Amino acid sequence: MSDHLRPKDISKKTDRLVHVDPSKFPKLPYPYEDWEDPAIPELSDAKKAERDVSLDGVSNLVVPLPKTEEEKEEFVARFLVGLRKLLSKENNWTFLKPLMLSMDNCVKCNTCADACPVFQESGKVAAYRPLFRSEVLRRIVKKHLTPGGKLAAKFTGNDIDVNWETVSRLAQLSYRCTLCRRCAQTCPMGVDNGLLSREIRKLFSQELGLSPAELHGDGTIKQLETGSSTGLSPVALMDLIEFAEEDITDRTGLNIKIPFDKSGADILLIHNAGEFLSWPENLEAFAILFEIAGLSWTLSSEMVGYDSVNYGLFYDDAQYARVTLKHAEVARKLGVKKVVVGECGHAHKALMAIGDRVWLAESNVPRESCMATMEDLIMNEKIMVDPQRNDFPVTTHDPCNMTRSMGIIEPQRRILRKICPQFREMTPHGVHNYCCGGGSGFAIMQSHNFPEWKMAISGRRKFAQILDAFSKEELDPSVHKYVCAPCSNCKGQIRDIITHFNAWERTGMLYGGLVELIVNCMTDVREGFIEWEDFH
Amino acid sequence: MPTFTHGDISIEVDEDGFMEEPDQWNEEIAKALATTEGVDEMTEEHWKLVNYLRDYYLKFGIAPMIRKLCKETGFPLKKVYELFPSGPAKGACKVAGLAKPTGCV
Repeated sequence: MSDHLRPKDISKKTDRLVHVDPSKFPKLPYPYEDWEDPAIPELSDAKKAERDVSLDGVSNLVVPLPKTEEEKEEFVARFLVGLRKLLSKENNWTFLKPLMLSMDNCVKCNTCADACPVFQESGKVAAYRPLFRSEVLRRIVKKHLTPGGKLAAKFTGNDIDVNWETVSRLAQLSYRCTLCRRCAQTCPMGVDNGLLSREIRKLFSQELGLSPAELHGDGTIKQLETGSSTGLSPVALMDLIEFAEEDITDRTGLNIKIPFDKSGADILLIHNAGEFLSWPENLEAFAILFEIAGLSWTLSSEMVGYDSVNYGLFYDDAQYARVTLKHAEVARKLGVKKVVVGECGHAHKALMAIGDRVWLAESNVPRESCMATMEDLIMNEKIMVDPQRNDFPVTTHDPCNMTRSMGIIEPQRRILRKICPQFREMTPHGVHNYCCGGGSGFAIMQSHNFPEWKMAISGRRKFAQILDAFSKEELDPSVHKYVCAPCSNCKGQIRDIITHFNAWERTGMLYGGLVELIVNCMTDVREGFIEWEDFH
Repeated sequence: MPTFTHGDISIEVDEDGFMEEPDQWNEEIAKALATTEGVDEMTEEHWKLVNYLRDYYLKFGIAPMIRKLCKETGFPLKKVYELFPSGPAKGACKVAGLAKPTGCV
């Protein structure tokens, strides 16, 4: 490593292990070459008095400061118990094998560091190096969970002091990674640092009850209690749907009834509930497309059945299973032929890839990406389109869960190449894409000083990629241009990036999903579905 | 838990200044919370927005979608930002005593 932070330094009793220095952030391209990043704000003294900020001064996961030495010791002891469980078959049947492969096979070549947008865009803050986090974990395991480990650690020079500081900082470090898994994509040994971050998060949630409020109390818990992580109840949902139907008529002149709870429909479409509250044009466009194509489809108004999110994917296996079982039950009860997952990346992975471990026997209703559903409608000409209506610059973002983790790359591109004459790729793209910077729940973490961190660091490369996808002339605010982001989480992050950098005023870029572009060029729908106006 | 005080008013708020107990909301509290959003005087337009949010919240337990808010108050989004510079969710909802928005919104 070229910097001077060694894994054992994580135990240092200092106020701040690493510093984020905005002057070291990489420069942004035109027209932001002169952009000056403000410093990440310090937390107030009151906040600092109650939580540990000794990693980097940034706060999303709140680790409370201990009041006594006993509390400190108990924290470390409970962590070690959790770590032992994480490495045992009985307690980690979900991810033990890939975890062990990633623990055992690293050759410390550091290729992951070049691939990691958080490390690179932070100006190479040493603690954000993927290898730093994983080496800390490896050394703790070697020392404390390997026979003779404590003695060996002293002689090999790989010693590490597992004190309260080490454990608290490791917990927080697992929330300086967006779980984008670009490191795993590039690793010659197949080591998955993203998975290691996720498993560390799981240990802290399942064993020590530590997780960000946005994912747990206001996330999975709220979803299971109210029906949605947004707090949207079935009654409120129907009010919003009534509004959406009126909105469809206002926008298109079409009268469309959005179907609910239709037993035996071919398709159960599940949206991220964020669409109902923040991006109604997305769910409206799906309704228009599916109705005009004559599909047999339905939404669900059952608790949890109208919100595809499953934040458990990001931090907790038990919470993941509770939510996905509810999804499976809703699909089974409706007797649909398949579930189509709407434009939400992590719901794709939760319902389709990881869901295969849980949706067993009679609950194993087939699941399909909406990318494939839409591809069939467009490429097999089941609906008619006029691509000239989309004759403006369009680029697309690749949601990590859908693309890198699941390989869904071409369906959306075949559609875009057909319906958008000025479609162009970002560099790089597909499985090599960069995360929007809001991955793994970051997009919804809006408290403390974390929003400033994620705008300046985790979202920086994506913003640069978006700017680079357009020419200088196209970046003039008078030119309509569209950033397609077929994922609610990515849309939220890209909205916040555009707001942070004032990019609507400076470049006139609009963002939205894929289905909106389809409906915008359908000949059965009057022109102008996409509205070129400020959004936020 | 932080306490927000302004004049005679003292209420529990969360990390971001949203009311912990939205049931305790009243117009005096709204005026006090508005000062944290750079709104020193609540005009008729401010009240129209706040009352709409409040009524919707009491009926459905959440904030309405922004598009609905704009359509039903007749305020374009730009106007909402003029009234509450941090926007409908972080600004107007806070003054209306709603809980902080959660989920992918």
